[in-house]
Amino acid sequence: MYQYDDYDRRIILERAAQFRGQVARRLAGEISEDEFKPLRLQNGLYRQLHAYMLRIAIPYGLLGSRQVRKLAHIARTYDKGYGHLTTRQNIQYNWPRLPDVPAILDELATVEMHAIQTSGNCVRNITADHFAGIARDELEDPRPYCEILRQWSTFHPEFAHLPRKFKIAMTGAPGEDRAAVRFHDIGLRIVENAQGERGFEVLAGGGLGRTPIIAEVVRPFLPKRYLLSYIESILRVYNLFGRRDNKFKARIKILVDALGIEEFRRRVEEDWEASRTPELELPDAEIARVAAFFAPPPYERLPAEDPTRLVLGKDRVLGTWVRNNVVAHKVAGYSAVVISVKQTGTPPGDITDTQLDAVADLADRYSFGRVVVTHTQNLVLPDVKTSELAALHAELRELDLGEANANKLTDLITCPGLDYCDLANARSIPLSLEISERFDRIDYLDDVGDLSIKISGCINACGHHHVGNIGILGIDKRGVEFYQLMLGGSPGNDASIGKILGRALAQDEIVDAVEKVLDKYLAIRESSDERFLETVRRVGLDPFKLAVYGEVSDADHS
Amino acid sequence: MPMFFIVTANFTDDGAVAWRRADGTWSRAIAEAGLVDSETNAKEHAATAAQREQREVSDPYVIEVAVDGGVIQPQSARERIRATGPTIRIRRPD
Amino acid sequence: MQIIRDRAIVEDDFVHVADGVELPARGKPIVSLARYVKEREARFASPAFGVRVPPDKLPEDIPDLDRIALIALELTKFTEGRPFSVGRMLRQRYRFTGELRAVGYVLRDHLRYLERCGFNAFELKEGKPLASALEAFGELSHTYQADAAQPLPIYRRRY
Repeated sequence: MYQYDDYDRRIILERAAQFRGQVARRLAGEISEDEFKPLRLQNGLYRQLHAYMLRIAIPYGLLGSRQVRKLAHIARTYDKGYGHLTTRQNIQYNWPRLPDVPAILDELATVEMHAIQTSGNCVRNITADHFAGIARDELEDPRPYCEILRQWSTFHPEFAHLPRKFKIAMTGAPGEDRAAVRFHDIGLRIVENAQGERGFEVLAGGGLGRTPIIAEVVRPFLPKRYLLSYIESILRVYNLFGRRDNKFKARIKILVDALGIEEFRRRVEEDWEASRTPELELPDAEIARVAAFFAPPPYERLPAEDPTRLVLGKDRVLGTWVRNNVVAHKVAGYSAVVISVKQTGTPPGDITDTQLDAVADLADRYSFGRVVVTHTQNLVLPDVKTSELAALHAELRELDLGEANANKLTDLITCPGLDYCDLANARSIPLSLEISERFDRIDYLDDVGDLSIKISGCINACGHHHVGNIGILGIDKRGVEFYQLMLGGSPGNDASIGKILGRALAQDEIVDAVEKVLDKYLAIRESSDERFLETVRRVGLDPFKLAVYGEVSDADHS
Repeated sequence: MPMFFIVTANFTDDGAVAWRRADGTWSRAIAEAGLVDSETNAKEHAATAAQREQREVSDPYVIEVAVDGGVIQPQSARERIRATGPTIRIRRPD
Repeated sequence: MQIIRDRAIVEDDFVHVADGVELPARGKPIVSLARYVKEREARFASPAFGVRVPPDKLPEDIPDLDRIALIALELTKFTEGRPFSVGRMLRQRYRFTGELRAVGYVLRDHLRYLERCGFNAFELKEGKPLASALEAFGELSHTYQADAAQPLPIYRRRY
C-alpha cells in the first residue's frame, strides 16, 4: 500500500494544525457555528442528532494492520468503543467530542490517516473494487490510479467549493463492476482499446438520491497520461455550470441531464483542449512509481488448491462459509475472504474496538497485514492461503465475524438512519435488525441465494436503496415512519434502478412484505439457479405486487 | 392535550441534545425543558441563544410539544429520538 | 480602506464606484462589468481601472482583458466556488497579468486556495481582521497539485 513520505506527512499535519486552530476559535466563541460549519465539514465532522460524527477517510478501502489498531484505539479512547463502516469504504465514529477532535486527527496522522474531504462540497474518498489487485477477472489494478487521484484531489484549490459533493469510483475489472461506477459523479473503468493500449472509459453524471441516474459515457477511451487533466476539465465544467440555487438539484448528474451528454461532452472537451498543460500529463515513470507501492506481497509458491473440497466436506458450517464468503484469487493457493460485519442483533457495518484489534491480528497472521473495507459495509482479507481457511474461519467465529452470509439476504446495507442521522426521516437500523432476525436460518439464506437488501432512512440514499435487489426507503408521513419498498435494483455492469412496488408500508407491515416478496420469488423462480434479480427482471413487478398488496395497480406510491 | 413550545439545541462541546430550562440554563433532560406558551417568545429565546450562547450551544430552534400528565411529548419521531437517544443498543457486548 | 495584496496589508489605491455614480477625479476606479462593457471606450481613455465581475460570468464575458489593470471577482457567499475556476482560467488560459482580487464574502479560510488559483489581492468580508488573516497563507504550504501559482504537480517537483 502507499507509504507516505515526508511531504505527504506534512500535508496532513498542516491540516490537523489548521483544524486545531479552527476548533479553538469555535470553542472560544471567535467564530460562529455558521462560520465553523463549512470548516468542520471539510474535515469530516458532522453534527448528528445526539452527538458529532467524525468520518475518517480510508482511501479505496485499504488498511494496514497498524492503522486498524489505531482505529480501535480511537474508538476505545474517544468514542463508545465501536466504529461504523460506510458505503464509501470509510469508517465513522458517532460520539466524538469537539475538543477531542484535534487530538484524534493528530493520532490518525501518526498512522498516515486523516479525515480530509470526507464531507463538504469537494471531491470525496476515491473508492474502488474491494478485490483490486487480486481478482481473477481484473484487467489492471485500479489502486495506483486511485492513489494518484487521491493526491490530486486533496486540497485541490479550484474545487473546494463545488456546487455539491463529488464522488469518484474506479474499477479495473471489465466483466464485473464491484465499485458501482455507474452510480458515481465520475466513474472510471480501466479498458483496452483496439490497439491493445490501456486507458480509461470515463463516465459521468451517475448518482442516487432524489434523482437516481445511471452515468453516461463522456469519453470511451482516455489514454492514461491524460487522467488528471481530463478529470480537471470535468470538474471545471461542473464547478462553473452546476446549479447553485437548489441543494437538491446541485449534483453533476443534474447538469449532465440538463445539457444532454453531447453538450456536456463538448464543454469538457473544449476546456480540455484549451487548458490542459504538458506538465499535468501523467508520466509513465510516475505511474510506475505509485504502482510499485501496490506490488504483490511475497506470495509463496503454492500448488493450486480448490476450496471445493472444504465446501463439500463434513464440516457443514465451514463448507457454507467457504462457499459464500471465499472468493477465487488470481494467485494459486490463495483466496480472498469476506469478513461479514453483519451479525444478527448488531447494526450492519458496526464493529467494536475489540473486533478491530482482533482483525488487525488476523490480517497480520493470515493476510500480509492488509484488510479492505467494502462499500457493502464488510471487510475483506485479500490474501489468505487456501490451506489456512479452516483455521481462519474458526477464529472469525470466535469473534462473531464468521457469519456465512456474504451476498445473501442478511448481508444488508443500511445507513445509520433516524437513530443517529440529522437528515433522516425514518429509522433504518431497527428494520435491518428485524429482517436479519426474521431470516436468520442459513438453509433459508442459501435457498434464497444471492440477494441484496439495501435500506436508506431518507432520500439521500446513503444506504443505496435504489440499487438494492430489494430496496427500502424510510419516509415520514405526518410524523410517523413509513417504508417504501422497491425491487430490481443493481449497481454493477447490469445497472438498474429499483422500481417502487406500491403504497408505503407501516413499520409493522414492512418485514412481512419482504417475506411475501421472498416467498413469491421462491414459488415462481424457474430453478434454484435463477437469482432473485433475474426473476424480477423476467416476470416484472406484478406477481410481487399481488403478493404484497393483494392486487396489481399503479396505486398511489405515497 | 395542552400544547407548548420548548427550545432545543445541541451542546457545542459534545453535540448532545440540549433543552432550555425556564431560567435560561441548558439541560440534557427534556423533562426539565421550560414550557413556553407563545411561539414568538420561544423563538426569541432561540434567537438570543444563537447570538449570545454559541460557546455553550449550537443551532437552537423551537419545537411544539404536547404535555400529557406532566410528561413532555415531542410530536415527531425525530424529536422523540432526540429526547430519548438511539432506539437500538449502541455497542454489542464483547 | 485596507486590503491584502501580495501577502501584505496595504492601503487600497483603487476605489469601487457604483453604477450611475460619477467617477472620482482622481484614483483608480473599479466599475461593474456591465458598466465597463457599455463605457469601454471611455474607460480606455482614462488611466488604470478595474472591473468587478459577478460569479456567474466567465472570462470570455470580459472583453479586452489586456487593457484592464484589475479584475475583482465576487464571492457572494462562503460556498461560492465559481471564482476559483474563473480566476485560474484568467491567469492560465487567458494569461491575465493584472491584479486579480477576491471581494465579497472572503474569509481567511479562502485565502490560500484563492491564491493558488491566481488571486493576489483580497478584500476581506467586513469586520474580519486582516492581520490574523495573513497567517492563513502559511497554513497549508505543501501542495500536491499544479495550480495557477505552481505549474508543476508534485510528481514533477519531488522526483
